[in-house]
Amino acid sequence: MSTGKLKSIALATLAGAALLGLSACSEVPQVTVYEQGQYRGKTDARPWEGGEFKGDRAAWEKALKERSRGQNEYNRIQ
Amino acid sequence: MLTKKSATAATSARRLRGAAARQLGQTMDRRAFLKRSGLGVGAGALATQLPYNFIGAADAAAPAGVSRAEGKAEIRRTVCTHCSVGCAADAVVRNGVWVHQEPVFDSPINLGSHCAKGAALREHGHGEYRLKYPMKLVDGKYQKISWEQALNEVGDRLLKIREESGPDAVYFIGSSKHNNEQAYLLRKFVSFWGTNNTDHQARICHSTTVAGVANTWGYGAMTNSYNDMQNAKAMLFIGSNAAEAHPVSLLHILHAKENGAKMIVVDPRFTRTAAKAHQYIRIRSGTDVPFLFGLLYHIFQNGWEDKQYIDDRVFGMDKIREEVLAKWTPDKVEEACGVPAEQMLLAARTMAENRPSTIVWCMGQTQHSIGNAMVRASCILQLALGNIGKSGGGANIFRGHDNVQGATDVGPNPDSLPGYYGLATGSWKHWANVWGVDYEWVKGRYVSQELMEKSGITVSRWIDGVLENKDLIDQPAGNLRAVVYWGHAPNSQTRGAEMVEAMKKLDTLVVIDPYPSATAAMAAMVRKDGVYLLPACTQFETHGSATASNRSIQWREKVIEPLFESKPDHTIMYAFAKKFGWAEQFVKNIKLEKDAQGWDEPSIEDTLREINRGTWTIGYTGQSPERLKLHMKNMHTFDVKTLKAVGGPCDGEYFGLPWPCYGTPEMKHPGTPNLYDTSKHVMDGGGNFRANFGVEKDGVSLLAGAGSASKGADLQMGYPEFDHVLLKKLGWWDELTDAEKAAAEGKNWKTDPSGGIIRVAMKNHGCHPFGNAKARAVVWNFPDPIPQHREPIYSPRPDLVAKYPTHDDKMKFWRLPTLYKSMQEKVKDISKDYPLVMTSGRLVEYEGGGEETRSNPWLAELQQEMFAEVNPKDANDAGFRNGEYIWVESPTKARLKVRAQVTQRVAPGTVFLPFHFSGWWQGKDMLEFYPAGAAPVVRGEAVNTATTYGYDSVTMMQETKTTLCRVSKA
Amino acid sequence: MGRMKFLCDAERCIECNGCVTACKNEHEVPWGVNRRRVVTMNDGVPGERSISVACMHCSDAPCMAVCPTDCFYKTEDGVVLHDKDKCIGCGYCFYACPFGAPQFPNGPAAFGARGKMDKCTFCAGGPEETGSAAEYEKYGSNRLAQGKLPLCAEMCSTKALIAGDADVVANIFRERVLRRGTGAEVWGWDAAYGGGERKQERKQERKREGQS
Repeated sequence: MSTGKLKSIALATLAGAALLGLSACSEVPQVTVYEQGQYRGKTDARPWEGGEFKGDRAAWEKALKERSRGQNEYNRIQ
Repeated sequence: MLTKKSATAATSARRLRGAAARQLGQTMDRRAFLKRSGLGVGAGALATQLPYNFIGAADAAAPAGVSRAEGKAEIRRTVCTHCSVGCAADAVVRNGVWVHQEPVFDSPINLGSHCAKGAALREHGHGEYRLKYPMKLVDGKYQKISWEQALNEVGDRLLKIREESGPDAVYFIGSSKHNNEQAYLLRKFVSFWGTNNTDHQARICHSTTVAGVANTWGYGAMTNSYNDMQNAKAMLFIGSNAAEAHPVSLLHILHAKENGAKMIVVDPRFTRTAAKAHQYIRIRSGTDVPFLFGLLYHIFQNGWEDKQYIDDRVFGMDKIREEVLAKWTPDKVEEACGVPAEQMLLAARTMAENRPSTIVWCMGQTQHSIGNAMVRASCILQLALGNIGKSGGGANIFRGHDNVQGATDVGPNPDSLPGYYGLATGSWKHWANVWGVDYEWVKGRYVSQELMEKSGITVSRWIDGVLENKDLIDQPAGNLRAVVYWGHAPNSQTRGAEMVEAMKKLDTLVVIDPYPSATAAMAAMVRKDGVYLLPACTQFETHGSATASNRSIQWREKVIEPLFESKPDHTIMYAFAKKFGWAEQFVKNIKLEKDAQGWDEPSIEDTLREINRGTWTIGYTGQSPERLKLHMKNMHTFDVKTLKAVGGPCDGEYFGLPWPCYGTPEMKHPGTPNLYDTSKHVMDGGGNFRANFGVEKDGVSLLAGAGSASKGADLQMGYPEFDHVLLKKLGWWDELTDAEKAAAEGKNWKTDPSGGIIRVAMKNHGCHPFGNAKARAVVWNFPDPIPQHREPIYSPRPDLVAKYPTHDDKMKFWRLPTLYKSMQEKVKDISKDYPLVMTSGRLVEYEGGGEETRSNPWLAELQQEMFAEVNPKDANDAGFRNGEYIWVESPTKARLKVRAQVTQRVAPGTVFLPFHFSGWWQGKDMLEFYPAGAAPVVRGEAVNTATTYGYDSVTMMQETKTTLCRVSKA
Repeated sequence: MGRMKFLCDAERCIECNGCVTACKNEHEVPWGVNRRRVVTMNDGVPGERSISVACMHCSDAPCMAVCPTDCFYKTEDGVVLHDKDKCIGCGYCFYACPFGAPQFPNGPAAFGARGKMDKCTFCAGGPEETGSAAEYEKYGSNRLAQGKLPLCAEMCSTKALIAGDADVVANIFRERVLRRGTGAEVWGWDAAYGGGERKQERKQERKREGQS
């Protein structure tokens, strides 16, 4: 083989290797990673704050539990 | 995570969708109509008030008027006005505005529950489409007039008619939506006017029940209660769609089912109630007697009847047994009603093996030309099984409107004074005494004593009172010249096509109602003048008592002041009483109070006290306003299964003091939760069957058998009703106080104004004042002593008409000639041209004639179009598809344009239409005929425009459940 | 206190629409907007079942996930709410929701003209001052802040619809299931579409045959 042809093959392989190497650097990810958005609206008070329960969460929970008895007629019928 | 897709997820989703689609019913359900988003009427008005329309910060300017958070919140306890279950509701009112509605969990009847109508009560505080002020039809259009002008003109017109033709030329159609006090005052009102031509919705609802049941064992009301159904082991629903007509009753019923009770539903349609049943039996409309006697056949064949019970407490069952075994064999039953023997046997076995078992019936049984026979067949079934007078058993008759029971008990009935006293001279004297007026003066108000004691025309026939040949009408006045529609819809009566003819012929038509009602539109369609509309209040703008179907009486507090220019019905009555010149007599023992506009209002409490003083027969005497109000405040103390208060201020009493609550309020009778219950002492709500039909018949004693009496009664055998003679004979006369003796001398327990006879009999000796007798399985004073099956007037089976023909014509029946056989003969073969059975019924979203509920946008949105349920076979034969407009035509030649709902709910050969619609007339929208701004949101054809002639042989109930029609594509 | 949930007992639902009108009543919901509806399957034939549907306040709410303006939030009790001021009426949440809960007052219309999304709030109001006129106007009543539960469930005619803390709701339902006689096998094809009842009937038949 002549030196010229050998040189061009080597150049081709070198270029190919370089290309491969280069492609690794500029690869763009194909899969989207989902991120839950942050709520951007107004803040909302929690049910037990203010008004009737004045921050007393336990009292609020107790009131709800008592209230839920109305939805179960077995409480009143034996 | 949502965005990550996987191959398996996608394919399984697709598979599931396919499977689901196959599972889903092929026919469209009613809700599909909702997909057609609303008629713009409601949306336009409401949407502009609310800031939903624009993108940008939602502008939350408070609406003009009251802020919901300002002002002190007051809670007013009321009761829903849409059906007889009687669901309590709390109204939250701020600054006179009804701002919220809260459930009343404490109520033993509904435990906080509501159906669509009850959950939408607060709309009554909006009243957008209400009749706002008095109106007069002038040249075909309704114009506003003042109250003064209205009262004067209407009063003058009626007085003129009275002078020219007599008081019987005016018909007063009263209401089952009046509270007890208003209904009672209306009966007094028409009596002072001088006529018995008055009636109310019970006629076209349960009049056959009341007559048939009362003649069987004493009182014609629901024997047990919705709550008591929890004690039933089996329930038979025949002609009742409780899931739509009495939704909250299903709370008790499904609770019972959950705990083992069996449900059997018998109906021509597969109703929503049937969807919850263990057994569904489809019968041909109008064939209840063959069905019930078919059940009895199996019961007698297998010896399942309660022989001891029958021996002690029933008269004539042997004759029934003979008839049933001979006549109603399984093949005859199947021929008549279409039910095969195995289904009959299973149903009979279920009822027999799961006692106590109860029966429920509604319009499906009552609205027939033989309704009185059908209800009696139901009673006989229960008597055979020994279920009457037992907790969990009974005949649970679900009544319709919220106070139809009360109006029937004490209100405007054409054949009776308050309390079922009838119209005999003695009854008139009794009531004249209670009213504080001279009997002779009352008699003078009538044309004659004969007319005073003659039953009036019924609401189901008022049109014939106008249109019939006057020589054939059994009153000197001849035809009716004026009709006052006082809280009643027109589209609930049959033969609507003829009704507009009657409206045309009338001198004067008056509507007193919170809504103009279809009457206003129908009248304006055919007349130019002579029609007046007076705005009445709803029951939320006044207070008073109402009787639920289970006979419990509940007290309503006033929620808001009358809206617009409306006035409570009793205030309007007093205003007319003044105009007619007998205001003083009208409220002799009743105080007058001034309302916010200075009008005189008869005191509701005083009126109830007057009812208490006079209604001994059915025990409306113990329910004083104080006792009732106390019950409403202490609802939580009442046990839900027994309705008895356990401790608390009402300890020992039954909720609402269900009538009969005998004796004076001082005697403190606790009310009667289950009628005829011998397992309890009479002072604890116990009882037995009534001695009302004599002491013996054909040599057989009618008094109860020895040993059969209520618990602890001093007389442990049958005995007649109590009067001064019996009391003296028993040696108990001296237990009366001197004052009581003076009052009770010469009287019986129903006419003794002191209540002493009742007190001595019940409190001292545990005996029932109305006696202790046998129930009658054979009612000899009825057209058919033993219930017979007779084909409806418009029957689809000419072969069976020949076999089971209807009654003979009656020439003077409730003052009118009434046709049976001649009509049936005439239309015998009409089923060739009109091959489909047309039946009608209820929807859960609407009530009655529907003008009130269809004016409530929250309800109207759910059911926007009138429709007809047609089986796919009939639809395919007629060539139309689901959702298309069709014409439903009846033999009257009236045609209804409705949407087709093609469904398997109805069998081939039956067409079902809901009856709540009005506002279209044979294809044309009647909007232009309503007063401006006061038409219901949803309008549609009224099925009764096309229904046909046919009336019950005892009560003149209309035959709405079975007629004929044909359908075609529009 | 766990999360707030709805449960509709299809054995008891009679399609009375009490829940629908209760919601309309409490929040003055206009015509055309249906926060709650009753869905019926097999209408008119044996096996008919109804169920009341509104926003299910999902643990992993799809509406919240897809909203381009991020106007949704979830309270500590699990109630899914949104801020109408941020809503642009795009309708994406409507596409995402498997129950059809998001409603638009101007009906099917072009992008931008539908109006602000409205839906069931579990009667918990919204991001305005609790009990204020502004909160009522935009979102309706805040019953939760008053210690009350959603009106639809409180008014259900047969107590089919239950709402509240998930544990409480589950306990109520469990009692009913036990009474009905179908125990652990309540879910699954054995019990669906009347299978449980047929099983009961077969059991009783065998018992009867055994006795005779």
